Order: sequence, then C-alpha cells, then structure tokens
Amino acid sequence: MAGTAEAQKQISEITGDYKYGFVTDIESERAPKGLSEEVVRFISAKKNEPEWMLEWRLKAYAAWQKMEEPDWARVSYPKIDYNDIYYYSAPKRKKLQSLDEVDPELLATYAKLGIPLEEQKVLAGVEGAPRVAVDAVFDSVSVATTFREELKKAGVIFMSISEAIREYPDLVKKYLATVVPVRDNYFAALNCAVFSDGTFVYVPKGVRCPMELSTYFRINAENTGQFERTLIVADEGSYVSYLEGCTAPMRDENQLHAAVVELVALDDAEIKYSTVQNWYPGDKNGKGGIYNFVTKRALCKGKNSKVSWTQVETGSAVTWKYPSCVLQGEGSVGEFYSVAVTNNYQQADTGTKMIHMGANTRSTIISKGISAGKSQNTYRGLVKVLSGADNVRNYTQCDSLLVSSECGAHTVPYIEVRNPSAQIEHEATTSKISEDQLFYCRSRGLGEEEAVAMIVNGFCKEVMQHLPMEFAVEAQKLLGISLEGSVG
Amino acid sequence: MDDQLITGYEGQVAALRGTVPGTDDLRAQALKDFADKGFPTARTEDWRYSDVRGLRQQVFGLAAPAATVPDLPETLGDVAARFVFVNGRYAEELSDLGDLWQAVQIRPLANHFMSNADRVAELVRGDDGVALLNTALLRDGIVLSIPAGVEIDDPIEILHVMTGADAAAAHVRHVIELGEGAVANIVERFVGDDTAYWTNAMLQARIAESAKLTHIRLQEEGAAAIHTAKAFVNVDAEGRYVAASLSTGGRVARFEAHVRLLGEEADAVIDGVALAATGQSHDMRTHVSHKVPAATSSQVFRTIADSRGKTSFAGKVTVDKDAQKTDAVQSFKALVFDKTAEANAKPELEIFADDVKCGHGATVGELDAKAIFYLTSRGIDPATARQMLVAAFTAAALERVPFDAVRDAMAARIDAWMAARADKSV
Repeated sequence: MAGTAEAQKQISEITGDYKYGFVTDIESERAPKGLSEEVVRFISAKKNEPEWMLEWRLKAYAAWQKMEEPDWARVSYPKIDYNDIYYYSAPKRKKLQSLDEVDPELLATYAKLGIPLEEQKVLAGVEGAPRVAVDAVFDSVSVATTFREELKKAGVIFMSISEAIREYPDLVKKYLATVVPVRDNYFAALNCAVFSDGTFVYVPKGVRCPMELSTYFRINAENTGQFERTLIVADEGSYVSYLEGCTAPMRDENQLHAAVVELVALDDAEIKYSTVQNWYPGDKNGKGGIYNFVTKRALCKGKNSKVSWTQVETGSAVTWKYPSCVLQGEGSVGEFYSVAVTNNYQQADTGTKMIHMGANTRSTIISKGISAGKSQNTYRGLVKVLSGADNVRNYTQCDSLLVSSECGAHTVPYIEVRNPSAQIEHEATTSKISEDQLFYCRSRGLGEEEAVAMIVNGFCKEVMQHLPMEFAVEAQKLLGISLEGSVG
Repeated sequence: MDDQLITGYEGQVAALRGTVPGTDDLRAQALKDFADKGFPTARTEDWRYSDVRGLRQQVFGLAAPAATVPDLPETLGDVAARFVFVNGRYAEELSDLGDLWQAVQIRPLANHFMSNADRVAELVRGDDGVALLNTALLRDGIVLSIPAGVEIDDPIEILHVMTGADAAAAHVRHVIELGEGAVANIVERFVGDDTAYWTNAMLQARIAESAKLTHIRLQEEGAAAIHTAKAFVNVDAEGRYVAASLSTGGRVARFEAHVRLLGEEADAVIDGVALAATGQSHDMRTHVSHKVPAATSSQVFRTIADSRGKTSFAGKVTVDKDAQKTDAVQSFKALVFDKTAEANAKPELEIFADDVKCGHGATVGELDAKAIFYLTSRGIDPATARQMLVAAFTAAALERVPFDAVRDAMAARIDAWMAARADKSV
C-alpha cells in the first residue's frame, strides 16, 4: 500500500495547502448585505445599465424568489442564507484607461498567483509578451482589458459584459439568456438578477481570433458572492479559444459563486473553452472553501459548429457544474474533457449534458475523476438523442481513480435515446492505482513516486492534451510539476 | 395525495384485517406511510422512466376470485412443483406440490406468522408508495423454507394468472428462505387476459451461507396491465443469487431487484431482457449493494424498443466503505427500431472503498446494417436475418439461465416477438 500513500501525498501536494490564500487590501464599494429588489436596482444603477436590463434583472429576481434550491446533487452543505451575502462589491478605483494605471497592489496579486500565461508581463507592458488577451476580473468588475486594439483590428469584440450592454445592446439582447434561460435553474436565475460583471466575446464571420482570450476570476472581498456572466458568440466560420482560470483567497467562511456561461456557435464556427478551477477548497478539516454552483452551456446553433469544453477542477469546497452542449445545428460537434481532483472534505458533482437535436451530430465525453482524503467525487451526465436527430454518434468514458479508503467515487450517467440510427457508447470504470502497473514501473527502475506520477499522469493524459499550451503549464503545475518532469 | 385514493385503500386494508394473523399493525403502519408518500410521480427520480399515472387515476380494487377456471400455460420443462395464484389468491386445486413437501417447508403466507409472530418484522416494508401498498394489502403468497443442505434440482414454478380483473389488483408476497448450502430454483411467471388489472408483486429471499437461489422471471402480462414487481434478496457468505428475467407483457411494466451481499464471497448475477412495442413501457432496475469485502456481482441486460415502445434500465451498484476487493461489472445494450421508440439507461456506480474493480458499459444503437446485408447476401430473408441478429443480441442475457427448457422458452418468446414485428412491417 506504499504506492497509495505516495499517491495520497501527491494529491495533497496538488490540492492540499492552498498557495493562493491571501487577501488583497483594496477598499471595495459594496451593495448592502442581502438580496432585495433594491439591491438589484443598486447593481443595475452601479453598472449604468439601460432600462431594459434592469427590467430583465427584476423579472429574473421575481422568478428566482419562486424557485427552490435544487437538492439532487450528491453534495451536502449548510443551508445558504441568501440574505447574509453581499451581492455587489467593486474595487473603489474607477475603470482604468491604460495599463499604467493598474494598481500596483493588483499587479502584485497576479504575481502572487503565479499566473503562468505571461500576462503579468503583458500587464506590465513588457515588449514581446505572448499574445494572450486578459480581461482581468478582479472582484466583479473588469479592471483592465489588454490587447483590445489588436482584437479590434480583427473585428473581435472582447470586453466586460457591462460595457457590452452599453456599447452593443443589440448583440447582447439577441443572445443573452438564449442558451441558459432565466428560469433554467435556481442558481442561473439568481445570477440573472444579480450578476455583477463578466465577459462578452463576439467573433465576427470568418474571423479566426488572433489570440487566446483569457479571464482571471478572483473572489476578493470578504463575504462577497461572485456572480459572473460570460457570453461568447462565434459567428459563421469563426474560431475562438477562451481560457478561464481562477484562484481565490483563503477564507473561513464559505463563499458563494454562481456563474453563468453561455456559448453560441453559428454555422461552421468553433469555440474552445478551457477552465482551470483552483478556488479555495477549504482546509484539511473541511472548514471554509468556495461553493461553486455554475451553469455552463453551449448552443451549437449552426451547421457543423463545434464546442469543446475542457476543464481541470481541483478547487472549491462544493462544486455543482455541468458544462453542456445543445447540438442543434446539423453535423455539430460537442466535446467534454474533464479532470476533477478532490481531496480532504471536498465535494464535486460535475459532468456534462449532450443534447442531440440535429442530424449527424457527434459528441465525446472523457471524464477522469480522482478522489483522495475524505472527498466525494461524482460524475453526472446525460446523453440525449431526440427523435429527429439521425445518425448521432456519442462516445463516453468515465474513469475514477481512488486514492484513499475513505473517499467516494460515483458515476451517474443518463442515456436517453429516441432515434434508431443513434450509436451511443458509454464506459465507466472505477479502480485504485493498479499494483501490477506500479510493480512493472518499479521493476524498470522507477522510484515509487515516479511510478505513481506516471500512472496518474497517464490516467489524465487524454484530457490534459486538450488544454491549450498556455494552460497546460498551469494545469500540470496543479497536477504536480515534479511528477511530470520524471515522466519526461 | 388524492383523498379518494387514500379512503379507497383504507377500506381495503380494513377488509383484510385478520386475514394474515399478526400483520394488522404492519398493515396499518404501511397504510399510514403510503398516505404520506403517495404514489411516485414523473418527478420521483427513481420512477422517472416509469409512467404510473394510471395508479393515481383510480383505486384498484382487490381482485375477486376468478369466475371460471382459467386455462393454464404448460410448465417450462420438468418442474419440482407448481404453485398457481389466480387473481392474487393461491389456487390449491390448480397447484401441484409434487414431492416437494417431503423435503421443504411450505406454508401459505396467511399461516406463516401464526406460530412465528416475531417474524413479521422480517417482512420487507418498502419505501415507496407501490411497495408500501403491497405491504398494507398483502394477503397471499408462498413461504418456502429450504432446510440446510437440501438441494431441489428442478425448478419450482410460481404461476400468477389474472383474469376478469378490470380495475382490480393483486398484491402477492412470496418469502423464500434457503438454509446453509441449500439449492433452489424459482421460475416466476406472470400471465393475464386483456382486462386493465394491476399486478403488484413482491418476493423476498434470504440466501444463507453457501446456498444458491436461481430466480427466473417471465413477465407476459395482458396488454392493458400494469405490472410492478420487486425482489429483495439478502445473500450471505459464499451464497449465490442468479436471476434472469424476460419482460414482454403489460402496458406499463417495471421490475426491481434489490440485492444485498452480506457475506464475503457472496455472488449475484442479474440478467434481463425487455422487449417493448406499441405503447409499452418496460423499466428494469437493479440495486446491488456490496456490504462486505470480496463479494462479486455481474449484470447483463439487453432491451429492444419498437414503435412507441420504451425500455429503460437503471442499474445501481453501491460499494460500502468496508467492501474492499469488490468486483462488480454491468453491461447494458439497447436496440431502438423506430423513431417513435425510446431507450433509456442509467448505469450508476456509488463507491466508497478504494480497492475495487467496478465497471459498466452501455450502448444504444440499431441492428448492424452490414450484418443484415451479409446474411441476406447468403440467401436469408431480411426478417429472418433480423431475427437471428436479435437472438444473438439477447443470448448474452439468457446464457446464465441454468435450465435448457426454460432458456429455450425464453428464446422462443423473443423469436415470436420478432416474428410479430416482421408481420407488422409487411
């Protein structure tokens, strides 16, 4: 069982002591605690939103009040008092016009985060920095947006969603809540009412976005829920790759995060959405940590459109997240690649939904769950084929690796097929690290740790290889850079 | 829940008072829980694929004794004994106990608790409205106790017949107990006429150390029937439970197997085939619970859905914290023949131990066009080709049936079902 102990240690290195737990001291401006129509109005006013947006929020708030918090996921947490949360908090400083104005303290925050994407250089204005655009979300408000000019040249709109509501109201109106309706679920409705900021991306027809787009999420002010809203529209024949990564400071109190991400891909468009989620998971005794209740959904609206979700989930105390694809356009493709690592008392209930509506639509689901400590890791997914969808193809693989005798690994896949020509395959396995494999590696002269590293690495490889280069670095760091080195 | 329903079933419970001495309190409690819980709805997660609206629309009366003696189907090969239940009542004159009584303790459920009042507690109460109602309304069933070391080689058939039972229900309950090292084989059959009846059957079994129970089910209810059945099985160390079911009848049919592996090296085999067409819905559910180390389980399910038919399979494997060295596998394959047909699957794993080997595979598709082409190119007509492919497809779920006559009878029914499909398409 030595191997298990080693693996346990590694997992603990990966997810254990949270390196990013610090608090940046920037005075923030807050809405009063609790949720009411006044707070919704306050947020809308703060954002200088047009009247239609306020009405939309108020409607969502009214809808949310009538809804019930879902309890079907395999997660348990103390009841959330929605009136004990600040719904709006913004850094006091006004929006910056140039990077020079970025608060040094904020830059220091990014430095501490160890952002691997060289955005620090970008933010610092270093010549020759790689072309990764950062729309830095620092506690609910976009503080700085880089590379806007270059993107503008390509015709790509990349800005905070509150700006977009003001500058491109027609575009936003056309697509907002078309993928995740206001009443979709409890947390989505809440987000509609109180979302503070987020990202809007529009890639025009035929444009291949010249760089990877990236947003860093960061929950900063104490007791502040983070309600991000992301909307990405890829017009006909366009391509965009979007990176999302997050860390949050260490807190004792649980923080609520209820984001909504909507993706729309029109004819022949492709969106690649990658996430590394490393929010504070709580301490070794399960105290604190982020509650992560996220609704992410993509609509493959056009013919031959494609959406690919890749996620590496290592953080949060409680995760409730199902990045999904509605495959409406004929020949559209949905992909979901996921690594979810849980340790200590973390609980993750995550997976995907692939809804096949159009003919010749295809989907692939690869999910790797690694549970350690006393954590609970659940894959929950749905593959649905409607009767009009001919020649649908799906392949699903869900593997779980158990690294302690006190953790849990669960698989809850749903398959619902109403068309005879569909070809659906689902495979799931659950096992611990194989003693045979360990023995084999060791007999070749590898140390215990290296052997485990090789196996864990191999276990996740199918997913990791789908991450963009820039992100792979951070993800590998999370999964243990020392292990990676020994494997070569 | 609808007061009318509660009042209706209250009346039935009152009418049954005293029929199974010792169970009156149990009935009352089950009825109370039933009134609280009500019947499952489309929103009840475990029932999401079973449409049992029919149960909420009317009170199903207690089926009256049959007016005439129904025609009985032949037994499937040699049997050790045959127990016949007509409209939920034990029909002594139609049953044949053979020599079974010499080796085995047989009692009607009604007398079971007279000298064993404390055994009422062993009755499974159930935790949803359907099972609770079975408990509240149980009247008849067979209690079979196979003493330690006794091996009954031939199958024991339990035949359920429903006739002239419109808007009426039969709530049967069988109790099977196998002593250490005992062997028994049960073949449960369900047949009925075209009346809109409801069969609500429960079977509970206890398999002691090294004992082996085979449990075959042929569900061929009438076309308008609702069929809900549950088996609750506990298996001790080195015991074996081998189950196979074929579901072709009824309008709405559902079978659940709840198997708990309670001793090391206990083994469960649960296989099944469901064929649904013309508005039928067949839901098969299994829950295998690995409670101790080194137990094994294996499941093979095959379903076919044709015109407006719906087949569903939900297989859950739970591995407790202490159940190291568990080996659990599950294979589910579904065929969908038609755009109005539907196949659902939910193969679920719930694992709390680390040193385990658990896996499931599920596929949904149609018959391989290439294979049909190959067979037809050899001069076989398309209908026969399809029949052959379906026979091969379902064979994996039948091959562990230990009796040739029973397995052949099941295969013959699958062939007949396919033949009916071919006729329809002409």
